Amino acid sequence: MRKLTVTATAALAAMLVSGTALAGKDLDSIKSRGALVCGVPTGTAGFALADSQGKWVGLDVDVCRAVSAAIFGDAEKVKYVPLTAQQRFTALQSGEVDILSNNTTMTLQRDTALGLDFTAITYYDGQGFMVNKKLNVKSAKELNGATVCVAPGTTTELNLADYFRATKMSFKPVVIEKVEEIRAAFFSGRCDVYTTDASGLYATRAANVPPPAKPDDFIILPEIISKEPLAPAVRHGDNQFADIVRWAQYAMLEAEEYGINSKNVDEMLKSENPTIKRILGVTPGMGKALGVDEKWVYNIVKQVGNYGESFDKHVGAGSPLKIDRGLNKLWTQGGLQYAPPIR
Amino acid sequence: MAAATALAALTLAHGAAAGPVLDAVKARGALACGTGTGTAGYMLADSTGKWKGLSVDVCRAVAAAIFGDADKVKYQPLTSQQRFTALQSSEVDMLVGNATWTLTRDSALGLDFVGVYYYDGQSFLVPKKLGVKSAKELNGATICVAPGTTTELNLADYFRANKMTFKPVVIEKVDEIRAAFFAGRCDVYTTDASSLAATRAANVPPPRTFDDFLILPEIISKEPLGPVVRHGDNQFADIVRWSLYAMVEAEEYGITSANVDEMLKSENPTIKRILGVTPGMGKALGVDEKWVYNIVKQVGNYGESFERNVGLGSPLKIERGLNRLWTKGGLQYAPPIR
Repeated sequence: MRKLTVTATAALAAMLVSGTALAGKDLDSIKSRGALVCGVPTGTAGFALADSQGKWVGLDVDVCRAVSAAIFGDAEKVKYVPLTAQQRFTALQSGEVDILSNNTTMTLQRDTALGLDFTAITYYDGQGFMVNKKLNVKSAKELNGATVCVAPGTTTELNLADYFRATKMSFKPVVIEKVEEIRAAFFSGRCDVYTTDASGLYATRAANVPPPAKPDDFIILPEIISKEPLAPAVRHGDNQFADIVRWAQYAMLEAEEYGINSKNVDEMLKSENPTIKRILGVTPGMGKALGVDEKWVYNIVKQVGNYGESFDKHVGAGSPLKIDRGLNKLWTQGGLQYAPPIR
Repeated sequence: MAAATALAALTLAHGAAAGPVLDAVKARGALACGTGTGTAGYMLADSTGKWKGLSVDVCRAVAAAIFGDADKVKYQPLTSQQRFTALQSSEVDMLVGNATWTLTRDSALGLDFVGVYYYDGQSFLVPKKLGVKSAKELNGATICVAPGTTTELNLADYFRANKMTFKPVVIEKVDEIRAAFFAGRCDVYTTDASSLAATRAANVPPPRTFDDFLILPEIISKEPLGPVVRHGDNQFADIVRWSLYAMVEAEEYGITSANVDEMLKSENPTIKRILGVTPGMGKALGVDEKWVYNIVKQVGNYGESFERNVGLGSPLKIERGLNRLWTKGGLQYAPPIR
């Protein structure tokens, strides 16, 4: 066993050399700049929003913070660039940002023709509909002839048309680019319905209802009309940087699965569980494979938290949004969130 | 309209230059697909030399997407120690050797896993006469295992975590491990549950039968099995990724090898887009617009491939389990084809 293990290790080492650990151009520029440039939405409560001190917080923001913790050992070395839906891909392609973490749906066209790669799914979302309760609608099937507020040039607009065509209903679109303006139009009654990813609807309902109206005056209809897997994106051309982003996300999931959180992570450094030792870098190897410090997962969990902590704090039970974990539960709990093993 | 123009501009800026792997595949007129040396249901050459199985179907789907012909594949059987080197050195274009997606392989080896065709996990096969019902009763057991794989590492981790000891019998070739196990050189054979099911279905030497062996209930690891490509040709990686997703998406939308011609007449805008009746997806990927039609017609959707090769329509009789569609409680989920 010992001898054969050594042989296998030697073979792996040889492959490592031939595969090399050359830093790509994106990772090089991030390091020399001393900060990760992260493209975020212009403002979606729970996912990415600047607070009163200008500090960005949210589930999407935590992806950038985790990547920064992995690269720099410090989750705060991030420069945030708010981008509209129409600006975002150009900003990534042109190198204005290193990563997009802004509630972008992974689709075939974006993953291929745009020269981008999606890393791992941050949030399994789906498009829904929000209406004023006084509209007296309980199902999207009752929306025939409705006026619908929607953002242009997004998959949302396409899904909306597909759904109404497939259910043989008609609608009148009110197409508005800026999120704040869509919300204002909806709350002022220019449209009956606001459609976007359910996450965005929950966020709007929690944070943007203008008084005297209250969040309770609005409902999110039960129909989810699309798959909207939201994922960060990077440009083609620097596989190592893409790997760091992907595994920073997986590290947050893996930490949750193994019960490692921001409060117990120091205690967990003493764990005898070989998997936990490997994840936290007590047994080295993973950091080296990824080209980062061996304490990368420790730093992520200590400073950002595991996935469940981030979810609850920003969008789940501990937040104003109160979104159910649903599809975003761990695979061991009936959800879809699954990280390949860190080994 | 403005959005469509913007997308066209973005697409043009990046061009559609084929990468080195895709160019080589096209020039050769065949996909070079690395497989394992033989696992019933996943990858096995039949008596006429034709490769079949769930893993093999991923290569067939990629060939259908690129060439419109699922048979344009050259198979290269590789041991678990040869496989990554063969991919790195371009001996093969892609691997479907039932390799587990792990951090080390995904990063330091210069490879990319592009999806999961089977959510597997490591388990234990024992003869019923051993009288063991749980892996927790295996303290002191002699265990047959392949070297240099995650399987060997998981085995050691599991026994250490459960404060048990074991005696490893380490053998490289799958057929020799099986022979050792069935000859009684070890009490236990450990590898991914998929392989254990395959071994139990196909390799039990008479007069003993399938029913004389038991797969223990413990799954001691996550073993997501995925196709692997090397870094450096993102377009080829995209084609492999979306060929697999196309099989899953076809199942979700009820498109099968039997009804795909009928489905070409569907009015559902999503199905029209998937099957290329509404063009765009093929162009984005750099393949023919009928790529999904060709995959489904010639290979089938994911559920068809699963049932035929490893599921209830096969000798393995593996339950869909984690490999159900996400709409049915499983983990198989394809991002949208749009």
